[in-house]
Amino acid sequence: MTVRLNPDLIPNLLISIEQSKMNEATATQQLASGRNVNQPSDDPAASAALVRNHDQADQDAQFLQNMTSLQAKFQVADSTLSNTYQAMNRALTLAVEGANGTLSASDRQALASEVQGLLNETVSLANATYQGAYLFAGTTVSSPPFTLDPSTNTVTYNGDSQTTTVQLTNGNSITGNVPGDQLFLNGNGSIFGSLQDLYTALNTGNNLSAAVTEVSNAVSKLDSQRVFYGNALNQITLSDSFLNQDKLNLSQQENGLVGADMAEVASNFSQAEVANQATLSATSLILNQKTLLDYMA
Amino acid sequence: MGSLSASLNIALQSMLAEQGAIETTSNNIANANTPGYSLQRPDLEETPPVSIGGKSFGTGVQLSQVTSLRDAVLDLRVNQETQQQSQLNSFISGGQQIQVLFNEAAGTGLQSPLTAFFNTLSELATNPSDLTTRQNVITAAQNFASSLNQASANLATLQRNTDLGVQQSVSQINSLISQIAQVNQQVVAASTTGGNAGPFEDQRQQLILKLSNYIGVSEVDAGNNSLTVTTANGSALVVGGQSFALTTTANSSNGFQDVYSNGKDITSQITGGQLAGQIQIRDQEVPAVQTLLDTLAYNLANAVNHQNSAGFDLNGMAGGNIFNTQAQQAGAAASISVTITDPAKIAASGGPSPGSPGDNTNANALVALQNQSLISGLTPLNFYSNLVFKVGNDISSAQTEQTAGSQVLLQLQNLQGGVSGVDINEEAANLMRFQNAYQASAQISSVIDKLMEATMNMVT
Repeated sequence: MTVRLNPDLIPNLLISIEQSKMNEATATQQLASGRNVNQPSDDPAASAALVRNHDQADQDAQFLQNMTSLQAKFQVADSTLSNTYQAMNRALTLAVEGANGTLSASDRQALASEVQGLLNETVSLANATYQGAYLFAGTTVSSPPFTLDPSTNTVTYNGDSQTTTVQLTNGNSITGNVPGDQLFLNGNGSIFGSLQDLYTALNTGNNLSAAVTEVSNAVSKLDSQRVFYGNALNQITLSDSFLNQDKLNLSQQENGLVGADMAEVASNFSQAEVANQATLSATSLILNQKTLLDYMA
Repeated sequence: MGSLSASLNIALQSMLAEQGAIETTSNNIANANTPGYSLQRPDLEETPPVSIGGKSFGTGVQLSQVTSLRDAVLDLRVNQETQQQSQLNSFISGGQQIQVLFNEAAGTGLQSPLTAFFNTLSELATNPSDLTTRQNVITAAQNFASSLNQASANLATLQRNTDLGVQQSVSQINSLISQIAQVNQQVVAASTTGGNAGPFEDQRQQLILKLSNYIGVSEVDAGNNSLTVTTANGSALVVGGQSFALTTTANSSNGFQDVYSNGKDITSQITGGQLAGQIQIRDQEVPAVQTLLDTLAYNLANAVNHQNSAGFDLNGMAGGNIFNTQAQQAGAAASISVTITDPAKIAASGGPSPGSPGDNTNANALVALQNQSLISGLTPLNFYSNLVFKVGNDISSAQTEQTAGSQVLLQLQNLQGGVSGVDINEEAANLMRFQNAYQASAQISSVIDKLMEATMNMVT
């Protein structure tokens, strides 16, 4: 006894049509979005990985932004110290000239006057700011770190000796500042101290050679300290290229996770279209078939 | 010896029988497209022979029965598969409304505001004294809190809508079981009078199939061709001519409708059909996702608040809370908000008291929370990415089952069609057969009529 087949072919045909339409719709969605994962259920593991990928990319973007502003800040600090260095070299020249025993008192006073100008200038440089915060105040960045008492010509430091740590990338941090006292009132070579003493020495004519040594020490000390900002700027450049490479890697990873191979999708689409047409055509043929009744008349 | 009148009788009986068979064929063709119609087969039977003078004579044919061809086991299997498919469809439909809230590929979800919040803290660490930067932290915290609020609110809406769906399903179920009870009686009545209960059985099966879309049921043969229909866990729905309607009552703790059958709460035992899928979404899937959101909100808010309190703000005061405190984890995602309004109060500075405006120690510590295992041994972001995986995976598993199930259902429907489907070609051939037999019998009547006439004329 042969198995009797379902004489009603319509449900099967409709399901075939439905299936090929769905394949077409899927391929269309992938063509439009460029992705073969368009919702978490398409690929749950890839969707979870995509969350982590985007998080990393967003963090990298923030790091790059941070570094832009850090770079600007360090450049301002670096050029301020560069100007300070120039002023101190001028002071050294004046000191050497003044120590030359052939000058008159009034000559030396003229030099002292210029030294006073340099002192005022360096105090102003030491109180430099970036975006409203004092660069050389340690962490007390909201008030000027250095004040000059005109009656005694003494410079006082109002800031603190703390340093901050700034993160350049995940796992790479650098120190963010050099405290002002370390830079300008250093025990092994004080900028303000040496200028103050030079001024006094030029006016009185005493201890001039000591004053020269003091200024010279201050210049060397400054020179060795200011490499900090140069190094920090280098670190930033390195981290910058690392982050840009990381961005590329993340972009490739994202494509690997959810990106559609456009050639493959286009091919799927045209296959689905062809299949759909074929199914519709076959359905039409089947439905138009004659039955026995047509032949019996 | 036979008799002419007996022959005439046989011919007449035959014409009646073949006429009946033709009527059945005509009925089949008319119902070729009727959903649930079972092919009817006219059963032609030889009538018992008689013995006359020691010789046996046949007495012709009769149409003894019209039988509806159906396979009860196939019907049952189709119903079961339909129940499973309906549950999966309903679950997937609800699940897709959940996953639209967390679709990273389309740019919705919590990753962006979460990472952005930590990014503003990272910026703060490079510029701790700047008021604009501090305000950005507050804004980002508000965005994050409100994205949690929204996700939670959307889930709650889905739950309420699904609850309405539950009520609608129950209403449909009750209407169907009352109809089944009526038809049940008609089936029994038709069976006991010895007629063909087939058309009523067709109707009953169609109703049960429709019912299967809504709820999983068990069918038990109750004798006399009556069917007892119960829920999957055995609570009576239809017994004989009586139906036992489901009722709904608001649950005392969450206000959603519990489903009662015969005085018992069967809500958590309903399997199969749209109702089961709706209950699954309402009572299991949405609450599970809500709990994950609450866990994220509660633990992250507490950690941030705790860390902020460890530092000092721009005014030299110890830091307070950034987010409002949650008494408990449940509901944290819906209620989380930002309590801080003054940007100076973000405690970027570390100790000792009173801290200083350029110190970023505590800001660094706040940023570092991002990479700490704050929530069930995971970082906040990894915890969230697991949430996305769960939501997507629950749907994708259901879809796999659905695809497999739909193949099985199609196969079963084809087998059913093989047993009960009307084939026009077959009916046409049958029509020919019965027509020929009818015509042959009519011819015989005509011949016998002439013979009888001849016999009459013999005498006169």
